[in-house]
Order: sequence, then structure tokens, then C-alpha cells
Amino acid sequence: MACVRVMREVSRCVMAAVAVAFALCVAVVVGCWYYLTPEYSRVGYTPQQSVSYSHKVHAGELGIDCRYCHFGVEQSPYANIPDALLCMNCHNQVLSDDARIVALKEAIESGNSIEWTRVHRNPDYVFFNHAVHVNRGVGCVECHGKVNQMDSVTHARSLSMGSCLACHRNPERSLRPLERVYDPDWQPAGPAEQVVVGQRLIRELGIRKSVYCSTCHR
Amino acid sequence: MKVVPEESLPTGDGMPCSGLGHGLGHVGGVCSSDGQYETPDPVTRREFMRVMSASLLLGGIGLSGCRRPVEKAVPFSRLPEGYLHGVPEYFATSMPFRETAIPLLVKSYEGRPIKIEANVEHPDKPSNGDDEAGRIGTTHHAQAAILSLYDPDRATRFTYKGVAVSREEAMSMLKQTGVKFAGLNGKGLSFLLERSGSPSRARLLRIARERFPEARFFVHEPVDFDVHRKAATLLFGVPVRPVYRLEHARRILSIDCDFLGMEEDAHRMIAGFARGRNPRLPRHTMNRVYMVESLFTLTGANADHRLSIPPSRIVLMTMLLFGELGRQIGWARLGSESAGLESALMGRIAGLPDALRGWATACVEDLVEAGSGAVVLAGHRQPVLVHMLAHTMNVVLGSIDHAVKYIEWPESEESPITELAAELNRGGVDTLVILGGNPVYSAPADLDWARTQRKAGTVIRLGEYEDETFPVCDLHLPRAHFLESWGDGVTGDGTVVPVQPLIAPLFGGLTELEVLARLCGLATTNPYDIVRDTLRGIVTEGDFEARWHKFLRDGYLEDSSSKSAGSVKPDLRRIAEAVRSVNPAPEHSEGRGTYEVVIAPDYRLDDGRHANNGWLQELPDPITKITWDNVIVVGPRTAAQLNLRMPSGAMGDYSVPVVRVDVNGRSIDGPVWVLPGVAENTIGLSLGYGRSAAGRVGNGVGYNAYSVRVSKALFIAGGAAIAKTDRMHSVACTQWQSSSEGRAVVREAAHEEYLAKAKLAKGSIVGGSQAKGALYQNPLDRLAETASYQWGMAIDLSLCVGCGACIVACQSENNVPVVGKAEVLRRREMHWMRVDRYYVESLEAARVVWQPMLCQHCEAAPCESVCPVNATSHNDEGLNVMAYNRCVGTRYCSNNCPFKVRRFNYFDYHRRALSGPGIKGQNSSSIARTDFLRWLTRMGPEARPKSELDMLRLLMNPDVTVRMRGVMEKCTFCVQRIEQAKTAGKTRAVSAGGATVPDGAFQTACQQACPAGAIVFGNIKTPRSRVSEAMADPRAYRVLEHLNLRQRVAYLARITNPNPRMLDKSSAETNTPMLDVIRSDGNHEQPQLR
Repeated sequence: MACVRVMREVSRCVMAAVAVAFALCVAVVVGCWYYLTPEYSRVGYTPQQSVSYSHKVHAGELGIDCRYCHFGVEQSPYANIPDALLCMNCHNQVLSDDARIVALKEAIESGNSIEWTRVHRNPDYVFFNHAVHVNRGVGCVECHGKVNQMDSVTHARSLSMGSCLACHRNPERSLRPLERVYDPDWQPAGPAEQVVVGQRLIRELGIRKSVYCSTCHR
Repeated sequence: MKVVPEESLPTGDGMPCSGLGHGLGHVGGVCSSDGQYETPDPVTRREFMRVMSASLLLGGIGLSGCRRPVEKAVPFSRLPEGYLHGVPEYFATSMPFRETAIPLLVKSYEGRPIKIEANVEHPDKPSNGDDEAGRIGTTHHAQAAILSLYDPDRATRFTYKGVAVSREEAMSMLKQTGVKFAGLNGKGLSFLLERSGSPSRARLLRIARERFPEARFFVHEPVDFDVHRKAATLLFGVPVRPVYRLEHARRILSIDCDFLGMEEDAHRMIAGFARGRNPRLPRHTMNRVYMVESLFTLTGANADHRLSIPPSRIVLMTMLLFGELGRQIGWARLGSESAGLESALMGRIAGLPDALRGWATACVEDLVEAGSGAVVLAGHRQPVLVHMLAHTMNVVLGSIDHAVKYIEWPESEESPITELAAELNRGGVDTLVILGGNPVYSAPADLDWARTQRKAGTVIRLGEYEDETFPVCDLHLPRAHFLESWGDGVTGDGTVVPVQPLIAPLFGGLTELEVLARLCGLATTNPYDIVRDTLRGIVTEGDFEARWHKFLRDGYLEDSSSKSAGSVKPDLRRIAEAVRSVNPAPEHSEGRGTYEVVIAPDYRLDDGRHANNGWLQELPDPITKITWDNVIVVGPRTAAQLNLRMPSGAMGDYSVPVVRVDVNGRSIDGPVWVLPGVAENTIGLSLGYGRSAAGRVGNGVGYNAYSVRVSKALFIAGGAAIAKTDRMHSVACTQWQSSSEGRAVVREAAHEEYLAKAKLAKGSIVGGSQAKGALYQNPLDRLAETASYQWGMAIDLSLCVGCGACIVACQSENNVPVVGKAEVLRRREMHWMRVDRYYVESLEAARVVWQPMLCQHCEAAPCESVCPVNATSHNDEGLNVMAYNRCVGTRYCSNNCPFKVRRFNYFDYHRRALSGPGIKGQNSSSIARTDFLRWLTRMGPEARPKSELDMLRLLMNPDVTVRMRGVMEKCTFCVQRIEQAKTAGKTRAVSAGGATVPDGAFQTACQQACPAGAIVFGNIKTPRSRVSEAMADPRAYRVLEHLNLRQRVAYLARITNPNPRMLDKSSAETNTPMLDVIRSDGNHEQPQLR
């Protein structure tokens, strides 16, 4: 009885204000959750690069292996961006008079490096190692998407901690045969085959689920 | 590929638009349509509103350049051959340390060195014939040397009379000088050099002597170890130098020789000592150390029997020991001249008290019994006579080519600095070339060096810093650090080692070799070619290029160690002469109310060369545990006489009285420190502090002991007075607690007891409370069954000498910041690893025990369960891991930690300038406010300047997060090294089993640096691993075991080896060795143990 009397006495304005404030908080939370997490803020990010290099042409149409340029990926934590001189392996003959190639040559002669805008970037407190992934059955396209179909490199997956953990907790869903790691077009026949392939690799290489903090955070 | 974070790019031109949330630094800029950022001018309020709204609009539309902070990836234009980004390279080099060098292997990332390790492939390692391979480590100086490379206060420019000149002008001035003096045959040219063992420098000096026959060469080394060579050469009549192999020594008598600390080749001495000390090696008897000293040094702290006597008595005590040896084995055995020596000695030692005689008799009996396994060492502070007596004792005992070798070593041809002073005062020096060193700071005070040096017509100097000597120079050349120089050196046994640069000179510095070559007018001035030419002279057979490459790859030249001189014969007449003529001045102070002063190099700053090295300034002195200061050390009796009250160390109570010491006609003020174990009537002063031009870290820290040091009494002086002033000085001591308060954290036993018990017992013989079973099953136990590894560490307290190399190694590996004196006063030092020091104490004689303390990685960690955000958790391999980005700074974990090994970043120590001397008027609230402002505006007034930050960034280990304010950090068992080893194994594995990391494939930073090999780390799941065997040792125990924390760090109890005949029956029952207290009135005092 007492509380009903109190409720009638509380002004409707105040209740309305509280309701509005609550709704606002929920909106902020939902907004942040949607817009400020990697799934929205990173996916689709396609910065303009200073050199209009097309992976679609080189890796897709010409079929150049990822490792031709990103040669460090099998031994280093980083998949390196190649030096400008590597382009000249072909381009001192192929399209050597093209304005873009001439600009590249000038950069090499002067010793200036090409400044690429970085697309994939983890925070400093995350230590990701490419070598251990590509040597254990994680394909390039698992994380980077179909790079061989991108004219400008797009951030295809969110690469949030959640997305890394999804694979680390269930590696059989994302592993592929070692000889297919650099094959952007490989697909398992179906989800069942993926699991079979994955589990075989887990057995062969002794892959464990590394889900502890120290795996990535040092 | 160079990743350029946005914030380090210059503001203004060429910077792509940044979008939202970027910070106030870019207020007023505008994003133009092509993504370029321009700063308009002027910025009015209307303009500001206009452009901000425009930026917001553009940002909202989603131009790719405005979407998120843009970061550039900048690869090479042309890739250096073999370079793979992210994969470290290792280069062998060496750190020159006076006449010898420490062989190193330096890790280089992205073309810059970041971590120094010992070069374990160097052949000079202790081995005792067992299968176990020898190893060496590094000293704390070697570990900290990398910070000096990235020191922004280093000399960066060529100057003439204080004004910057171009490099070409400076080189041409050098050339002209060389040409001028070639014409004059070198008359009027003088060189002032440091000690060096570099064969290339020796070769160039020979050329210089030929080219400038009338030039004079002088040497100045404020703390000179050359006395070892000088005395041996004088005694044996052949140019030799002693090299000690302590692993072959069973009984060591040290006469004021701090061989574990501040003597030459400490890393090698510690390795040999530890090898002989290890109770675990089978078929091995432990060594025993006798120490005779006045101050309390590191070696004294590790000795089994320590005789603490004033410095004036040490010479006499040595004579007594020698006399005792003669008496016990028969003087006739010493040779034909022995009669004269005997009578000379007996005359001098007639009046010594019986207590000293008793000690000497027992000690010498032990040495004689050990025969060729006994060795006697004398310290650099002692006069030549003491050295000669020590070397003769070695010959008599038969330890030549066992524990000590006398190897061929060239004579030193340089004259001392006192002669240069005389020459300068005569006006005979037209041009003085100073190569290294800092004579204005470190020359003896009676030479008045600043004024004296100015008497030279021209002074050319090669200096690492624009320091105290800089204003008195004309042409000043910046010197390259050894990590950026080509050169060579020799290790203690004579093996030639390279000095190989890991980076091009950061500031265009020169090496000594280049300067000498230019002065001599040689065609080859490039130090790389000079070193190759020197090697061509040494390597006469085989393919030179192949041998050169092997020399660089291995870090040493095969089979280049100096030959032993074999059996050497001491010249007893010389000793007899010295005995007759030596004046054991300073006068013995007993009863006269005067004191004796010992001037010793500081353990951390050496002779002052490391004053600007923050890691060494903040490294606590092993015994006093004081940082950022040197102190005037006195014993408890002296303290009582002066009525000194020492602070308790409770918050606010850390000020000590400042005392004035008058000695050699000069006086010095400094904070006093009472140290149990210092001899009566003795005062200890430390060199290396009190600098005025060291740089931003070292200026104004401590008192300058050089100001009372005179050339007649460089190390020991008498007739001193000490008095309290009315000033106080706050002392940043990291460990005020000197007792373990009844908690048995350090366990030790005497050797006899250990042998008896170990034979009978299964399991641990360490008494004390054992952990009882737990009520609840630890869920991590199940994980432990399936994980491939379970990491653990064992620290052998018998081997740990307290040197602190592990502390600096950890700091280097893990990007641990330096906090400055004011923060250390607040107990906020950030060392992840510390070495605790406990006293086993009596009135005057004291013993010290060490315990390295780090995160114990408890399986039932009290810190993990209290973190509100789960920033600290346990992984399946037994490590307690930290996720820094999750930590919100509650500090509950540190509160719960019984070992207090968790360190909190109260401020952003990496960006924040060091507080303490130099930052005035700051109290804690104003510090907090400036810190916040700095965070807001990126660069506040009290932040380190950008030039310094840029340098420090180069030093950081990229494998470890750099922590910011508000984050807790602690030892991680070098998880980055663990993960790197596991990753390397997995990357190469072709089968399930192939991924396992074998034992010993990697080491933690502390384990790798430890010169004694006291730390063992590895997989405790493998029963055969070294750490499993260590933990199964009967001596193993855990600290505070009753708390049932189940730590992964085990300690092996310390075994001491006292001489049973020197033990009193009563103290034998308490299992602690006798503390020998010989009072100066001759009475033998029974110590009262607290």
C-alpha cells in the first residue's frame, strides 16, 4: 500500500526522464557495440595507396604466388611488404615505359621508399606471428579474404580478438592442407570435409588449441 | 619495412588526414580532398569552427583517408641482402674493459642492437673435466652498455674551441697535426691514453712511435688493474700477467681482491668460482674462500671466512701469511734467497696480535693442505709488495698452471699521468692528444688537471661525451661506442676477439684506431681495414678471408690465447727489498683518533664512465641496496663514536646525516652509511659520482670522491678525520629490511652437515614447514597433464654471488623503465627481478646472504583470483601471465602478492623525465597534474624531449609490450622467448612430435646473463631436464612454503664451506660459521648473532 502511494506521488516527468535516460544509455551502448567494434570499423576499409598496385592482376590473373613478394611470411612474424626493387624483376621489361613503372624506377634510383598505407593492423599489445600460422595450415585467404580478386586491398575480415579465438578454439574449421595454404581458390567440398581435413592436420602436426593470454599478449 | 606510427611524424606538411579522435595537436587543421593535411594560418575562432565542421563532414562521408588513424608501412627501396624483417640477427663482438674484453653476442633487430648476451662459443670457459659444457655469462656493465649506445647526451658533433665544425675540417686539422709533428719528429707531441688490450691499437702505437720518435705516451686509468701485470713482471723478471682459473681452485685466499665484483674479468672469475662452488657436481669438493679486507665487498660477502682489518694492517697481514707459509713448509723450500726474506719479514710482523696469528695459521694450514689447489689473489688497491707476496705464495703452493697461470703479456710502455702533469707544467707539451678517458674529472686532485691540461698548446680529444674535460679541449672529436665501432681486443687469456659494429655510428663518431691512423698519416684510416691488417699480421697461414670470416662469426680467433710462461721463478731479493722499504702507511690509526680511508670504484658506475646510464644508476648496490647515490661507508663502532642514527626506512624516514671527511688535505661531504662488516676506524669512499657534465641522468648525483684523491694515495689514505655536519640527505635504498624476521626465506647449511644429510636422505633435507595438501583440487592440474611443457625455474643460492647482472638483463630484455630517485624513495622501482640481501649479523663481523626474487609463478597464485578484470591469469604451461591491455590498475594483485614482485606503473615512466635532482619544486600532486596534462597534450614540459624518446625507442625490445601508466607488470619467465622457441619448433615441425622444444634450446634473460649459472629454467615435465634435476635436489625448497602457493620457482639452499678448525664449538651447533672478529686491540671477540 505504501509503495503504491509513493509511486503515485512521483512525478511523471521524472519517470519519463529516467526512461529517456535509460533509452539513451542503451542507444549509446548499442551504437558503440555496432559502430566502434572491428566488425564495422575495419571490415571494408580500403585505403588509397600511393602506388596503384592491383593484386587482382598480379596474384589473380597472372597467378603469382603470394610468397613471391611476401617472401618473409614462412619464417618471420611479419609478412613483409616487398622492396621496390622486387617489382623490377619483371617490370624492367614488362610495361617498362608505363608512367607508373617509370615513377617506381625513379623512386628506386633516388633511394626513396614507397609509403604504403597499412591496411591490416593489430594493436601493439598483440603479437601475431605469420610463420607459425602458414606453416601449420592456415591459408592466406582465411584472414585476408580473396586477395586475388581485389584491385585495392580491402580489410576483408574483422580480425578482432573474437575472430582469432573462434579459430583458435576450433581449428579444424579453418585449417587446410599445407600444400594449399597459398592457394586462394581452394575450397573444401563441404563443411564436413573441412572438419575431416582439419582434424587430420591437427593429428599430423600436433596442433593444440592455444587459447591462453600468453599466446598473443606478451 | 619500417612502420611509422602517426604520432612520430612531424605535424604539418604531407600528413594524411587523421579523422576523429586524434588529439588536440591537430586543432585547426583541415582535411583537403586529396587526403592531405594543412595547417591554416592564422587560426581565429571563426576559422576554427569552420574547419572543424568541415572535417567532421568529410570524416562522415567516409573518405578512405579519413576513416581511421592512418599508419604508413615503409619497406626498403632496395632490400639488404639476407635481411628478413622480424627475424633477429646475432653478431659476435666484445666489450673492451680496460686491458681485456668481454666476449659478447649481440641481438640485432631491424638493423639495430637491442640485447647483449655472452658469447658462449668463446673457448675461455670453466670446465673441470666433467661432461657438462662450460658456460660464461656477462656482467651488469656489459648488459647495461646497450643503453649507453642510445644515450642522447653522447657527443654528436665535431667542435673546435667549443664551436661546431664540419667533419672535413676536423679531419683536416688532424691530418695537419700529423704532418706538422712528422716534421718535428714528434717533439712536443704527447698522447694520453686509456688502458687497452687492442692489438690494432698496439700496432698503430708502434707506428706512431716510429713516426714520432720524440713524442711521449702517457696512460691514465683512474682505476688501474695494470698492477697485476706490473707486480708479476717485476717479480718473475719476464713480462707476464696472472690469469686465474678458479674452477681449479679448492682454497682461495683473497687479499683485498674483489674478484667477483670490481676487478678484471669478473664474469670469468664468477664462472670459475661458481664451478668450484657447486655442491651438485659429483666427485667434487667445494672450494673455500678466505678474504682479508677493510670494506665490505661482494667477494667478502661470499667468502667463508672474512677477516675485517683496517687497510694499514693488510700489508702486514700479508707478510704474516707469507711468514706462516714459510714456517709451515720450511723456508728452505723457497730457494736460496729465502733467508734474507725471512729475516726481513719476521722483523716487520713481530708486533702483530695473536688473534691475527691464529687466523693466519689456520688459513695457511688449509692452503698448504690443498697444495696445487690453493691460490692467493691480491687486489688492485694493494701495493706491489702484496702482489709479489701473493704470487710467490702461488709458486710455493704449486698452483701455477692449475688455478693460476702466468701468461706472456707485453710490457706497458706508457708513463703515468703524473709525469704528463710535470711535462705540462714545464711547458713541454705543444699538442696533447687525449684518446678516451675523462682526466679533468678523474685525474688525481693534486694535479689540478683542469688548469694543468690547459698549459698544452693545443688539446685534441676523442671523447664519448662533451663532459668535464670538454671545456679544456680545443679540437673535440665524438667517439663511437663499441657497439658501433670496428676494432679488436683480447680476453683475459690472450685470445684475440673482434669488436664488430652492429650499427653505423649513430652520431658519426670516430674510433680510436681511426684517429691514430690519421695522425700517423696512414693511407688506411678506415678501422675495418686497420683491423684486417692487424689480423693479417697475426694469421700467417691458411686462407685469410676464410679465417677473417670465421673470426667475425665466432667472435674469437682460434688458438690465439697467450702461452703460459710455465714455471716462473720469483725473485726473492726484490721482495725482501720491498719488505724492508715499505712503509705500511697510512699510519695505523689505533688510539690516535684518526681514520683510514679506502677509495674504491663504485660497483655500478665503475670509475664514473657509466654515470649517465640510468640502468646502472638505478641498480641497487649489492650490499647497501642504495640507488642513485654513493655513500660514505663506516663501521658500527665508528658510527657509535660519531653518534650516528640510521633511519629506519619507514615512509618519510630515509634521511641520513651528511658527514665531512678530511683526508689528504682536502675534504668531501657525503651521506654516511653504517655498514656492518667494515673494519674499525675505516671509511669507505666510492668513485664515479658527483659529476657535473655527465648528462641528464648523471649530473649532480652523489659526491665526487676524486676531489680528495691524490696521486700518492690513490686508493688508501690515512690520517683522516670525519665529523657530522648538520645537513641530512635522503637516500633511496631499495631494501631497508635487512633481516628476514624469522621467516626462513633463505636456507643455508655448512658443507659438512650437508654432505652428511644428503647421503642419508631421500627428498628434501631442508627443514622448516612444508606445504600441506589443499582442500580443493586445483583445476590447472588437469591442464598440466595435457600440455607439452610445464615451465619451472631453480635458483641455486650456493652459486648466486649477488652481482645483479640478471637484474639489468631483465630490464634490457623486457623494456623495464627507469623511474628516478624520487620514485625509488617511494618504493616504486620497477625491477622485475631483484636480489634481496639479508644480514646474518653481529656487531662488527657480518655475513650477507642473497636471494634473487622474481615472480614465483605460483600454481595457486594469490594475485590471479583477486583481479577484477582477469588481466592476470594462468596458462596451461604453468606461467602466470599478464594481459597489460586489460589491467585497470586496481593494484589488488600486488597487495596480495606475498613476495611483492609485482610492479605498478604509477606514471608513464617511459615518457616521463627522471625526477630527482634537476626537477625542482615538484610534489606528488603537481607531478600527477603535469602527468595528466602531458597525456592530454602528448608533450608536456616534464616529458622527456623527443630526441631522447626517439633514441629510447630504438632500444626497446619489439617482442615485449611497452607498458604505460596504470598497468601492473612483473616477471613473465620471458614468455616472449618461450613463445619464440615454441613457434620456431612448430614452424619447422613436420610431425606431431617434431614441435617439442628441447631442453636448453632457449634461456630466459636472467639465466643467460648470470655469470655463475645459478639460474636454471626449463620444462619440469621432462624428468631429465636440468631444471627437473635441480628441483629434485635434496637442497630444493620454496620460499614461504607454508602458504601452499606451489610456486614454480625453487631455491637450492646455500651451502657454505667454513673451515672446521676455525669454527668455535658453540657456533658449530647453530650451523653458522664462525665470524672472525679481530678487534684492533688484539682481543678476539665472540660474535653475538641476532
